[in-house]
Amino acid sequence: MSHVSHWLAIGALAVIAVLIPMGMMLVSWLLRPSVPERDKRATYESGEVPTGTTRIRFNIQYYMVALLFVVFDVETVLIFPWTVIYRSALDAGASLTQVLAPMLAFIGILVVALVWAWRKGAVEWARSPRAEREAGDMAGRR
Amino acid sequence: MAATPLQEDVTLLPETIARTLGLDAYGFAGQILAALIGAFIVGNVMLAMTGVAGPWAKRKITAAFTDRIAVNRVGPFGLLIIVADAVRLLSKELIVPENVDRPAWDLAPLVVAGSALLGFAVIPMGNGIHLADPEVGLAYVFATASLASVGLVMAGYASNNKYSLLGGLRAVAQNVAYEIPLVVTGVSVVIFAGSLRMGEIVAVQRETLVVLAGVPIPSWFAIVNPFAFVLFVVANLAEVGRNPFDTPEAPTEIVAGYQTEYSSVYFVLFYLGEFVHIFLGGAIIATLFLGGPAGPVLPGFVWFVIKIWAVFLFTQWARSAMPRVRIDQLMEIGWKGLLVLSFANLVLTAIIVGVIA
Repeated sequence: MSHVSHWLAIGALAVIAVLIPMGMMLVSWLLRPSVPERDKRATYESGEVPTGTTRIRFNIQYYMVALLFVVFDVETVLIFPWTVIYRSALDAGASLTQVLAPMLAFIGILVVALVWAWRKGAVEWARSPRAEREAGDMAGRR
Repeated sequence: MAATPLQEDVTLLPETIARTLGLDAYGFAGQILAALIGAFIVGNVMLAMTGVAGPWAKRKITAAFTDRIAVNRVGPFGLLIIVADAVRLLSKELIVPENVDRPAWDLAPLVVAGSALLGFAVIPMGNGIHLADPEVGLAYVFATASLASVGLVMAGYASNNKYSLLGGLRAVAQNVAYEIPLVVTGVSVVIFAGSLRMGEIVAVQRETLVVLAGVPIPSWFAIVNPFAFVLFVVANLAEVGRNPFDTPEAPTEIVAGYQTEYSSVYFVLFYLGEFVHIFLGGAIIATLFLGGPAGPVLPGFVWFVIKIWAVFLFTQWARSAMPRVRIDQLMEIGWKGLLVLSFANLVLTAIIVGVIA
């Protein structure tokens, strides 16, 4: 099978993967009633009347995690080709140090970065001052 | 284990279809038609499995764990509840909440359900049910599996609901945190197999590892490298968002997370996407670690189904047996535990393979 036909099949599945949900939407559109009502459309926040805007300030930690992810994801992309050629390179007569040492150095640099991020508290979930205070109170009472 | 990659001449599903229906005569158009028919078959096989799993098997399994009976009124073993539920859910009114971000809000369910189905293109399901086998198969399947996070954050942000927003953010934080261990553990298998092609990864596992009491034990990577297997299963559990890692939905904390504001067919699509995702995770586990469709006596496809249902059963077991971890614990398990262990596994695998080979 040629390269084209592999990706043709994948493209075909992509089309099907969109058409199936669309078909379900169509069926549902034909079946379902529509009884518009103002209260029904209110934002559902456990029965409370929603206060303020939805665009709330959320934990900065989500950004830190995303940043870390970018670093490590780029790095997995670089690991992929190495794992593919690893055995064939060994079989072709390359020595173990020749194939392993560069990747160990690469992973070593990453480990240094991870340790740095770890010690900076980037992988720890940030806690609000209030939560810290309450935790302190709990410890004091004990 | 073979040092040279096994070259096998496996016919893929579109080819088989083209030959049986005589579509070869129509050139490229025939190829496209054959690919579409093949994709339709694969898509519907997965939908059928999800249909059984979502409304019926999930309830039955959870009921068995909690000593209840669950659905048993409609049809034999309550099986017809699948039809009843499908009709019920699809005929619900679609409530569009105030101020939702319209195109994104409508597209999110499509992305979640569609991306999950997309991954099955490269999974060898046995008996020639294998849509495509590109050289980058494994990278492709990881890529499509993580597309769902885009849909989840779209849903969370577009819903104009604080709980949805938090759920979407949690989903992304969790998916990205466990994506790295998942991929790094996955490629440790590639060190053995020497190829990213799913067909080849499965072919390598067909060899006999040892013969125990006359029974040949195949070199499934779950047996060759059980450490990687355990890591992968745990990371996969987090990736599909099942207990103990279901913080993005966390019904007791943030209502239903990113899907709070979705009703009717959109809810069905989220639910469907989630289950297809579990099966995709199961299919990746089966292909990488459990020899794909390989197995004695029964045909390959049956074994493939058994294996992915075993993984499904495991996720449901975990769901019934384990409490949810807190979001900060989740991050610590991911970044401090699994990440470090997965890199240790990668380096150790490389060294062991290097010493043995």
